[in-house]
Amino acid sequence: MAIIGQLFVNGLIAGSIYALVASGFSLIYATNRFLHLAHGTTVAVGAYLLFALFSVLGIPFFVSALVAIILTGLFGLLMNRAIYSPLRKRKASNIVLLIASLALLSLTENIIMLIAGPGVKSIGWLPTKTGIHIGGAIITPLQIAIIVISVVLMILLYLFMKKTKLGRDMRAVADNKELASIAGINPIRISDYSFMIGSAIAGVAGILIGLEQNLFPTMGVMLIIKGFTGAVIGGMTSVPGAVVGSYIVGVIENLGILWLPSGYKDAIAFALLFVFILWKPTGLFGFNKGVKDA
Amino acid sequence: MLENYIIHIAILICIYTIFSVSYNVALGYTGLITLAHVALYGIGAYTSALLTRAGYPFISGILLAGVVAAIFGFFLVYTTRKLKGDYLAMATLGFAFVAYSIEINWTGLTRGALGLPGIVKPALFGFRIGSNVEMLLFVFIVAVISIAIMWRIVRSGFGRLMEATRDDETGVEVLGKNAFAIKAKAMMISAFFAGIAGSLFAHYISYIDPGTFYLTEIILLLTIVIVGGAASMRGSIIGAVLVVVVGDVLRLFDLPSVLIGPSRHIIYAVLLLCVLLYRPRGILGRVDLI
Repeated sequence: MAIIGQLFVNGLIAGSIYALVASGFSLIYATNRFLHLAHGTTVAVGAYLLFALFSVLGIPFFVSALVAIILTGLFGLLMNRAIYSPLRKRKASNIVLLIASLALLSLTENIIMLIAGPGVKSIGWLPTKTGIHIGGAIITPLQIAIIVISVVLMILLYLFMKKTKLGRDMRAVADNKELASIAGINPIRISDYSFMIGSAIAGVAGILIGLEQNLFPTMGVMLIIKGFTGAVIGGMTSVPGAVVGSYIVGVIENLGILWLPSGYKDAIAFALLFVFILWKPTGLFGFNKGVKDA
Repeated sequence: MLENYIIHIAILICIYTIFSVSYNVALGYTGLITLAHVALYGIGAYTSALLTRAGYPFISGILLAGVVAAIFGFFLVYTTRKLKGDYLAMATLGFAFVAYSIEINWTGLTRGALGLPGIVKPALFGFRIGSNVEMLLFVFIVAVISIAIMWRIVRSGFGRLMEATRDDETGVEVLGKNAFAIKAKAMMISAFFAGIAGSLFAHYISYIDPGTFYLTEIILLLTIVIVGGAASMRGSIIGAVLVVVVGDVLRLFDLPSVLIGPSRHIIYAVLLLCVLLYRPRGILGRVDLI
């Protein structure tokens, strides 16, 4: 039984990271209606910025982390302004935007590889601590912090979307872009904000991953697949759905180890993605307005 | 030295020409949104490599590479037949990821990340190809035959049906044609030649691993086809020549190999983004990407 508890905890930790990736991805998808796959390397950008600022330049940790998060948000804005906006201005199809996002993913990944080298890096801020035993499962303080930070951030994002004017405008654009712009909401401004906020959350994910694991240039691809799978399971345009979906991915892929060799962990997520897209493309929660004719 | 290098580039161009023209048959001519083409190419490469390693002759390897890829192509079109737009693109990309993770995890068959080394050079009618010049001649002939066949198909009545399905699926159905059957056939033709290209690649390089058929290769293929232009065979051929040469030009400079790999992928990605931004139809494209 202990093994199940441990795998479940591991699933929650993985799910927390995926939820951070998926929520930004889904926020961008909801307001822009195209698949921004380069969101995966945005996470890597956040992690490497922290590495550059903290581990290389020696700037105090919390300052580095804050600057890294802000710069990652601006990196998202840059991608939107430099590539996606011009493409949308000439009415490029969604498949063109998707291809552009794949090109951006590859571009960013290889720029990181060129600058930082292909090897793994570690932030090295926290000394490795022994885990605490909770109900038969072992969990380190950092891992608890990851779960708590994710959950708090998700609640803040939810409140932001529900309570603030900007959040309400975003939901309006997500719901119906034409009506929203008739009501005086500028969709271009909303698009910029969604890229900034979504990417900044990805920056937080990058920092947490950087503390928990090693950094390597291609880390973003796997993360966007997991985050995307979470978003699909939850229903693409729903940020809370994406969060729940991400925890499901994290828990299922970790519990899957009970029956399959651990090498198949990623394959489980891929299979979930494929199965959901084929049989239930609207996701578990069915917040699917406008997804099918996208 | 330089001679060998030029022959190497020419062989790669021939292989990528078959590969990209076959992709254009699906993406450009028939309007099938698929990002799984690299997986089909990989399936062809693995089929052929495994068969010849098990002692079967090369000719059965390369032909079955095409057939197995075509079967997977049909499976792909069939399972995704109800999807559109983003979801179709993501399902096909998901297919590519699943193929990759099976290749890397089914170690009993594929040796996983270790890859398959020592894949024999092609042999036909008791004559085994030894030098790269012979290899070039062989892949050139295969490329000419493959492209001639695909050229005939897109110029035939069926080719016009493919293009009609791309432009107006409902219209095709109204005329009493089965749009799904057209798409499935087009995909199988396209997948068959992708499998052939994969087999040639495996037998030329003599080593394959799952990483060869992953994301970077998808970008490379997209760059070739989009630079050349959708629904243009000449475009894809020019695209293959251009992109392979541009990507390899770095090797002429005396850069350390750690820099060459990433720089090459940066060039591909920048080229792809520039074409999408400034010349969306590529060099000779006849239609916009759907």
